[in-house]
Amino acid sequence: MPRPHPGTLIRATLRMAAGVFVAFIIFAPLSSLVIWSFTRKWFWPHPFPQELGLFYWRKVLEGDLFRALQSGFFIAVIVTVLTLLLTIPLAYLLARYPVPFKAAILLVFLLPHAFPQLPVFVNATTLLYRAHLAASVSGVVLIHMVGALVYAVWTMTAVFRSIPASLEEAAWNLGASRVKAFFTVAMPLATPGLIASTLLVFLYSFDEFTGTLLVGSPFVLTLPVYMYRTSVGYELQVASIAALILMVPGLLLLVVLERYLKSEYLSMFGRI
Amino acid sequence: MTPRLLSLAVAAPPLAIVVWLFFLPFLSSAHLSFIRDGEWSLRNYALVWRLYKLDVLYTLGVSLLSLVLVIGIAALVCGYLRLVGHRVVEFLFKVPLFVPFVVVGHGMRVLLAPRGTLNSALAQVGLIDLGDPPSIAFTWAGIVIALVWKNLALAVLLVLGAYRAVDEAYLEAARNLGASTFRQIKDVLLPMAAPSLVVASAFMFTSMLASFSIPLMIGGGEPPQMLMVDVYYRINYQDDLGTANALGMVSYLFAMGVAGYYLRTITVRPV
Repeated sequence: MPRPHPGTLIRATLRMAAGVFVAFIIFAPLSSLVIWSFTRKWFWPHPFPQELGLFYWRKVLEGDLFRALQSGFFIAVIVTVLTLLLTIPLAYLLARYPVPFKAAILLVFLLPHAFPQLPVFVNATTLLYRAHLAASVSGVVLIHMVGALVYAVWTMTAVFRSIPASLEEAAWNLGASRVKAFFTVAMPLATPGLIASTLLVFLYSFDEFTGTLLVGSPFVLTLPVYMYRTSVGYELQVASIAALILMVPGLLLLVVLERYLKSEYLSMFGRI
Repeated sequence: MTPRLLSLAVAAPPLAIVVWLFFLPFLSSAHLSFIRDGEWSLRNYALVWRLYKLDVLYTLGVSLLSLVLVIGIAALVCGYLRLVGHRVVEFLFKVPLFVPFVVVGHGMRVLLAPRGTLNSALAQVGLIDLGDPPSIAFTWAGIVIALVWKNLALAVLLVLGAYRAVDEAYLEAARNLGASTFRQIKDVLLPMAAPSLVVASAFMFTSMLASFSIPLMIGGGEPPQMLMVDVYYRINYQDDLGTANALGMVSYLFAMGVAGYYLRTITVRPV
């Protein structure tokens, strides 16, 4: 066997080193969470936890954390269903017909991401109070939808645009009504995009913090708000477990869908 | 029903939600910023000028520094990924995309606090003295590190996309003339991907200015603070909607400036 050139060996080592260095940067904050979540006792300045175990995992999964997870999950499901129901017909019309003010309509949905949300949501909370919706699940669902609509409208419009209109025209020519053509031709072809926007909306709602903190307090608690409260209250084990659970859906998606998601969808995930 | 009417009817409910809970509150924010003790006045803005000058500069400084770091690192890393390639590194940079902002805030807090895991690890190799541990969390550096960590993923994704769109022929020509990897990045990839970089920067700058959960969790307890934290504290502890909204207006003005700059670049230079 020919001996490898010394240059290639150095290069391979450097590549390895680069990989290890980047892995360290990326995983340093995440692994700290893992360590803390399994810590039972860790007195400063000891370098390692004195006692490790599942103590806190068992404790929190029966208490408030589980309730926050449940209500957050429930809210995210409602937000996803409502958002998709409202936006799929709209996205289809925007993609297929000369809707008046098309550009303006698309831009309005972008507004909540082009301006700082916190001061606006402070005033939105006042409006929701007047409508007797603040500190309720409906209020939180509505404030989540303000930010989530854009993901569904934009991805679904792009998806319907990418399906050739001639396929539906063929169905019309064969006697299908427009509604039937929509359900039997356009929707099945739009399934991959539909899955992407479902995941985007669900993750946005599941991870939403600012709106929930303002509108939901003090009665509606989702996992991000619960995690924030425990973290600033120095319940580090509990907060770390909440943080790890919050990461699960996203990381699962990354691993499972990395090959299938187009980079424009991936870039939308980064804004959550 | 005509298609025009039908489409407007279908558009109405989702638009109503955004108008009701974003556009109207935005207007009410502008309105309330000029109201003090029930009458029109500029006193809220005077208070912002007196108390929050430094905070505005601090917010701009932290956001600008984070942006420069993010774009600088992304430009180089993506150049390497485009020209040489490294699948592991490329995958690793996608991880923060799926880590929510609040989790980044908490993770960095645990890592960078005076008694955090980083100091603990560094003390093992004798780099720091645990009797007087340095703190990165609760300072501007903590906010910058957390913002860079989270936004780098998005920047790498966008910049790499732009680099991949650059025709290989230009790079080959540069290589034939003896250009190194760095020269290919600096003189070919970067100029040709500039419009995408502007888009990415504009978006990220606004999101850094408006970042709330990260500075709330990792920022210091004393002023200066990031603007969004000031808004939140002003409401929570002082119950002072007027000043909070005036601070909000300052942040909207910056966001509008960025949006205007962004729209001008993409209309002047067709991509």
